[in-house]
Amino acid sequence: MPNLTDSRKLELRRELETLVGRGAVLSDPDELMVYESDGLTLFRALADFIVFPTSAQQVSAVVKLANRENLPFVARGAGTGLSGGCLPAEGGVVISLMRMNKVLEVDYENQIAVVEPGLVNLHLSWKVGPRGYYYAPDPSSQQACTIGGNIANNSGGPHTLKYGVTTNHVLGLEVVMPDGEIVWLGGKTREACGYDLAGVFVGSEGTFGIATRIVVRILRKPQAVKTVLAVFDAIDQASAAVSAIIARGLVPAAMEMIDHLTIQAVEDAFNCGYPRDADAALLIELDGLAVGMDVQAEHIVAACRESGAREVRTARTEAERQLLWKGRKSAFGAYGRVSPAYMVMDGVIPRTKLPYVLRRVNEIVAASGLRVGNVFHAGDGNLHPNILYDPRKPGEEARVVAAGAEIMKVCADVGGSISGEHGIGLEKADFMPFIFSVADLSLMQRLKNAFNPRGLCNPGKVFPTKKSCVEVGPVAYRPHAIEEKGLAQRF
Amino acid sequence: MPDALLEKLRTAVGPANVLTGIQLSPYVVEGRTPEAAVFPGSIEEVAAVMALACEVGRSVTPWGGGTAASVGMPTAGAGLIMGLRRMARLLDHEPGDLTATVEAGMTVEAFQTTLRRRGQWLSLDPADADRASVGGVIATNAYGPRRHLYGTARDLLIGVTVVTADGSVVKGGGKVVKNVAGYDLPKLFIGSYGTLGVIVEATVKLRPLAEHEELVCVRFDRLKDAGAAVKAVAASDLIPNAVELLDATAAAGARLVAGATGSSTPPSAALVVGFDGVREQVEWQRAELARLTGPLGGRDVRQLDAAAWPRLGPAAPAAFATPAAVMTLAVLPTQVAEIMEQGAGIARGRGLQSAWAAHAGVGVMRSALGSDPAPQDPGAIAAVLTEWREIAHAGGGHANLESAPLAVKSQVPVWDDPGAAGRIMERIKAQLDPRNILNPGRFVAGI
Repeated sequence: MPNLTDSRKLELRRELETLVGRGAVLSDPDELMVYESDGLTLFRALADFIVFPTSAQQVSAVVKLANRENLPFVARGAGTGLSGGCLPAEGGVVISLMRMNKVLEVDYENQIAVVEPGLVNLHLSWKVGPRGYYYAPDPSSQQACTIGGNIANNSGGPHTLKYGVTTNHVLGLEVVMPDGEIVWLGGKTREACGYDLAGVFVGSEGTFGIATRIVVRILRKPQAVKTVLAVFDAIDQASAAVSAIIARGLVPAAMEMIDHLTIQAVEDAFNCGYPRDADAALLIELDGLAVGMDVQAEHIVAACRESGAREVRTARTEAERQLLWKGRKSAFGAYGRVSPAYMVMDGVIPRTKLPYVLRRVNEIVAASGLRVGNVFHAGDGNLHPNILYDPRKPGEEARVVAAGAEIMKVCADVGGSISGEHGIGLEKADFMPFIFSVADLSLMQRLKNAFNPRGLCNPGKVFPTKKSCVEVGPVAYRPHAIEEKGLAQRF
Repeated sequence: MPDALLEKLRTAVGPANVLTGIQLSPYVVEGRTPEAAVFPGSIEEVAAVMALACEVGRSVTPWGGGTAASVGMPTAGAGLIMGLRRMARLLDHEPGDLTATVEAGMTVEAFQTTLRRRGQWLSLDPADADRASVGGVIATNAYGPRRHLYGTARDLLIGVTVVTADGSVVKGGGKVVKNVAGYDLPKLFIGSYGTLGVIVEATVKLRPLAEHEELVCVRFDRLKDAGAAVKAVAASDLIPNAVELLDATAAAGARLVAGATGSSTPPSAALVVGFDGVREQVEWQRAELARLTGPLGGRDVRQLDAAAWPRLGPAAPAAFATPAAVMTLAVLPTQVAEIMEQGAGIARGRGLQSAWAAHAGVGVMRSALGSDPAPQDPGAIAAVLTEWREIAHAGGGHANLESAPLAVKSQVPVWDDPGAAGRIMERIKAQLDPRNILNPGRFVAGI
């Protein structure tokens, strides 16, 4: 990265202003600090400029300027990411898409919408809701996160158990390539031509280019919804209930687990109606046709009872249902009442390994002298252990990071993955060798070279830093390469 | 082929697993005979053969069941056939995880049979399931009517193992249903027609078998009305697993009309809708379908035998003894009926018959050109295909030529022009297969 002199910086700022307009460029250090991290506050890094384009042409012009100046650049949505993926790890330009937030087109008959990347996820469902449609991927941050950010991370959410993740709902994208060229990948129809570049682009964590228009599927709202809360005195019973439901051939729309510590935090904060003394609860949602819904709900109730549930109840009103979901979706915020900070993990495991892995998670965290709250997508096997800690206590943060690494190793060892929906970003880059060989990573690197040959588009992400590439065993905390270079800091 | 190379291949996979000379007749594509066909029995053997081919610069065509062997342009050189039929084991199936890992050479039918015994299935129903291999289905992105609800390989493939052009063994994705670690390599290989690597193993998501499933046929005197019914179904509360629209010729091809040939029943378009779930859900939906379609001109609502399912996908080409050409079009779902009528009119205008069948709910259709009574002039066939492609493009869609004689393929591009995205595809190909030995020249943009 070039080290910009103050005068050069001023010149570039002026030039950026001619591209995107005055009032659409930030370069003052105080203003830059607002963009120094995402939802994972462990990492911080400062950009040289933040720009707010309003069109693909403006994005392209900024990218071309960055190429000319050899400046790295990274796209940013709402900054709710949890892996440091949108940090300007090596300085340069942050391209905020927040001013490109329109729904450009809705075609109800063909059940597609064309949106800009800065559109907040939930706003699309609001827009199409009155006509009986919705956008299915529902990350817990959906009130704030953007669809462009969802594209970068291939975001999931509770209802992905039945409806799939972001990639299953994206048909095409207009992309500003890392060299500034504007290209369509896929389109409005189902079959694209040639390689599935739209499929490859989704989940590439902003390293393949910047999406400026996105064609997504919208779905008809289900005729009926039923939400069941099952309460357990032992978390193993709740895990067994997940398997029992699947064994009965049922695929609920969502199947979420909430453990004792989390229930207490949520009840303290919001009083959602979860029993405070429960060891774990499962929030299970069925949706679809009204006919047959009761029969399926009976199967769910029976499976939970046979697994040892002490109480199984169904939300009787929409308000009651919303309250139960509020407890689930607000869990992360509720941890604020029991701990000054937490770090959320995102491992995925085969569903049948739930009881074993949850035990290991609790053992690992306890051995580190820390506490953990679990609230996660049990139906998918996507864990979210939240390790609680106090950043002011010396050494505690390093213990969190080490415990997190150990948990990822456990997930990898049972045949799972180190990330289900949050992405690799900066945070997990050095743990990629847990699940990928040198050959696997080399192929990914070649794919990246095809899209981003100069490496200026979101550098420093996804791939392990060189020295960790061959080193798979130890999981202790080690500074990331960009920390060593003094380009970012862990806090 | 030099004897020394043949000897090396025999050493790599065993002498019985290398075919040459007259034994190669099943692998002749468009009149081109390969130099040899090799059948490795393990990933290591696939890698060894690839490394050899790479070293001596022989092209390699991965081969599953051969059901899509003639799709695309013929590869530039003769080269090697890499047959996967010996790699046909189910490696892992944990019903509680709703996932399975399978070797690429296993046929779809063998895989489904095993899964069904355990109450599950892979929700992908391509044609020729008895011959099509799992790897081939992924490489060609094959699908069937149930894609309406359950999607295609891109919605089901969660992990893939591939041997790349240099003989390295590479894994993408994993074994869990939700996974964003690293790039989505499974997507890269789906529909890549063997141009980026040889798929050797696949891990897929499964579904529990539904308690009950039905296929319901509604007939319409006018295709246009059937098209309106497709829209009505889409806007309703119904959750069909298939929505198929067939013109009269294709409906006859799929033998949906009682007594098919020689029947006195006048020809009519057919809307065929599948439902699954618990019995009362299926029954409610069947009744609701009749209620919705009646006012639009739908009549004779009746259940079809389950044996009709596999006839739906190939309905258009099955309408003719030897179709002169088959094209696949992808358009917006609401355009389907209109494009069918336009397309049939274009063929009639040149004195040719056509048959049209669509996965109408997702806007994907196949059209076949008749060749009865005599082989047609390639020029006329090419002219019709070109116009078909134009009407697909006019609506923002795509068209690919699935099969046609070489004389036609030389006049009508097999693949659509991918535009600017084609350059990215070329760069990917150059990165993954720099010596251009995997199915050279067969795919989009000359890849």
